Amino acid sequence: MAYKPFDADALIDAAAPLLQLRIEPEFRAAIKANLKTASKMAALVEQVKLEDEAEAAPVFRA
Amino acid sequence: MTTGMTDPLSASATATEIAEAVKSGQVKARSVAEAALARIEKHNPALGAFTDVTAARALDAADLVDGKVANGLDPGPLAGVPFAVKNLYDIKDVVTRAGSKINRDRPPAHADATLVSKLDAAGAVLVGALNMGEYAYDFTGENAHDGPSRNPHALDHMTGGSSGGSGAAVAGGLVPIALGSDTNGSIRVPASFCGIFGLKPTYGRLSRAHSFPFVGSLDHLGPFARTTRDLALAYDLMQGFDEADPAQTKRVNEPTVNRLSYPIPGLRIGVADGYFAGDAVAQAHVKVVAQALDASRVVTIPDAQAARAAAFLITMAEGAALHLDRLRARPEDFDPDTRDRLLAGAMLPAVWVERAQKLRRAYREKVLHLFEEVDAILAPATPMKAPKIGQKTAMFGGVELPVRANLGIFTQPISFIGLPVAAVPVWLPGEDLPLGVQVIAAPWREDVCLRIAHQLETAGVCKAPVAKAFLD
Repeated sequence: MAYKPFDADALIDAAAPLLQLRIEPEFRAAIKANLKTASKMAALVEQVKLEDEAEAAPVFRA
Repeated sequence: MTTGMTDPLSASATATEIAEAVKSGQVKARSVAEAALARIEKHNPALGAFTDVTAARALDAADLVDGKVANGLDPGPLAGVPFAVKNLYDIKDVVTRAGSKINRDRPPAHADATLVSKLDAAGAVLVGALNMGEYAYDFTGENAHDGPSRNPHALDHMTGGSSGGSGAAVAGGLVPIALGSDTNGSIRVPASFCGIFGLKPTYGRLSRAHSFPFVGSLDHLGPFARTTRDLALAYDLMQGFDEADPAQTKRVNEPTVNRLSYPIPGLRIGVADGYFAGDAVAQAHVKVVAQALDASRVVTIPDAQAARAAAFLITMAEGAALHLDRLRARPEDFDPDTRDRLLAGAMLPAVWVERAQKLRRAYREKVLHLFEEVDAILAPATPMKAPKIGQKTAMFGGVELPVRANLGIFTQPISFIGLPVAAVPVWLPGEDLPLGVQVIAAPWREDVCLRIAHQLETAGVCKAPVAKAFLD
């Protein structure tokens, strides 16, 4: 099954109520543009292959 | 006055010159403070550097210094030196606005930020708080609430941000030392655009306690100055462990100012290629520095583009988490440019951020290996010279992209892993605006950054003059 293209409006419509964020119509275009940029950034990050053992940078110390 | 020495009351006087003149009794700290306050009153309307002027406090602090001098007591290594701080540093009895409208509703700070206290204890005289991009999420130096800070070398151009007021205040000769913060480049970008020296120390070196945060895992504080000696002196005096900053690393103080003149021929210096090559204008400025240092090695920083992307995602998500309640309650009171990036950041999938944090550690390992072969790496601080205020897009590597998010493309992959950097100002012959070069070293080697910066300054390759229009 092919992946659907990323739909920023769908993410906003789903996530904003979950987060109790009020998205006014005039905010939407810029939020969409930022989400699309973020998706490109995430793709760049995923291009770097990491070992299963790779730890995240912040390590909690008790 | 000694012939050839700068008048300690002038805009061009360095911190070192002022402190010497005050300590020797040649000039009163009060006169120095009054001169700085007069310059601020005269020039700040054009520069937009200061948002708060702490005149009464400054005069009281100056009188204290003068009293010590009169009584034969040590007034401190920065005796009577005026300084100012980005308005995300707490200043006792001043509201820490952090460039925002929303935080103005908070009560005034009950105490100074740790770094303000340290400079104060060294005899420096705080004269006020400086303009900045809202909540530090900015590379332009523009501010929707306070107006833009303006580049002293060309008032219709950006200072760079988010420590824009810090850049304007130092390049405009209002103060010899200013403090800023750098999460993704907010010290190095304004240093580049305003033609001054800036130091982003190693992550965890200086206390951030009692400053308003942005991205705790990436936030750094540091100084700006017009000479490398002043930069190193301010940095040295701000070192020291402070348990109030949970990210600070416990290290002994490692002073740099007495080592600035150590010869550097033993240092191996490389020039970053690939991702950091930049357009012709950035390349030209790096080349000047590389030639002066005889830096013929080429260094490839691996995965730099992915590192920048990871810093971008962590910033969006962590910034959104910080501001979530404010985004819910008062979205209209944000600068729209800040708000819409933070709102998007609140919606990022958690796995993206976790992958970014994993990359951070893996990338750190790879980059630290490079320092087995070199002691310092040179890279442009910004991809271009200061754009015009209000400019929304520019060409980056042949592609038109938003200015605001992309001025930090060369700074982000470096601060992402907390490496120390001195931004040094380079002016090409006949050019009206400078462009900065990053001198990058291994963690905890600020001394290497500063020694190289000092060598470049001594050789006349880098300089940070007060802008001509503000010399009086």
